[in-house]
Amino acid sequence: MGGELLRSSVSESLSYTKIFYEHFPFYLSIGMTYDQYWNDDCMLVKYYREGYKLRNERKNQELWLQGLYIYEALCDVAPILRPFVKSGTRPHPYPNKPFPLTREEVKRDEKEQEKLNRQKAKALFEAWAARLKLPEEKGVSANGNNN
Amino acid sequence: MAKQIRFEYKGQEYILEFTRKSIEMMERQGFVASDIVEKPMTTLPALFAGAFLAHHRNVKKELIDEIFSKMTNKEELIRKLAEMYNEPIMALMDEPGPNDEGNVKWEASF
Repeated sequence: MGGELLRSSVSESLSYTKIFYEHFPFYLSIGMTYDQYWNDDCMLVKYYREGYKLRNERKNQELWLQGLYIYEALCDVAPILRPFVKSGTRPHPYPNKPFPLTREEVKRDEKEQEKLNRQKAKALFEAWAARLKLPEEKGVSANGNNN
Repeated sequence: MAKQIRFEYKGQEYILEFTRKSIEMMERQGFVASDIVEKPMTTLPALFAGAFLAHHRNVKKELIDEIFSKMTNKEELIRKLAEMYNEPIMALMDEPGPNDEGNVKWEASF
């Protein structure tokens, strides 16, 4: 009797079909078709599983980014939400473009920022020079001495 | 890509492979993998015949038996067939990454 119990439990545990049916709904839920699961290359499941992991990671990243934008928006409006706030207080402006996500985007943003800073500095210098009312250039030599 | 065995017999090319459906069909017909040790004489030809279900479902049993009798290096053939038979179920199991913490290393003496 004990042997029968052992035999039945062993053969049941070795039923591959049962295990296939147990996993089947999961693979259907991640986009595999009936035919792909049962009749196609049996290794396809591995790639579907990898794809599912990547999709989850991407979704998590998107949700995290959304949270970051919400946090940024709350921080931006925070000044006007304080009690007894001074009249005329304005919220900080919301970022005028999305946060950079890749190294390339970060580099591109840095370059753009540098360019803007240079233009700003140039404009300031020109305004300062205009205010100085420098004498008109009359044969200024390379070493700066008047001829 | 699933493991396959390819060969030619009397001008016809054959591809042996196991899919989940073919294993389900084999088990429905009474095939039990663990019987390989206790009843090798009936189980091994059944395992060989089952490998035809994926790509050559309509090949007659007599022809399969004839091919099996003429297959050389049967020991290696059976080993490969057993490996192929396990593949559809092994593919469902997640392999731990090579550097995952807590991985157990093991070795066999055979």
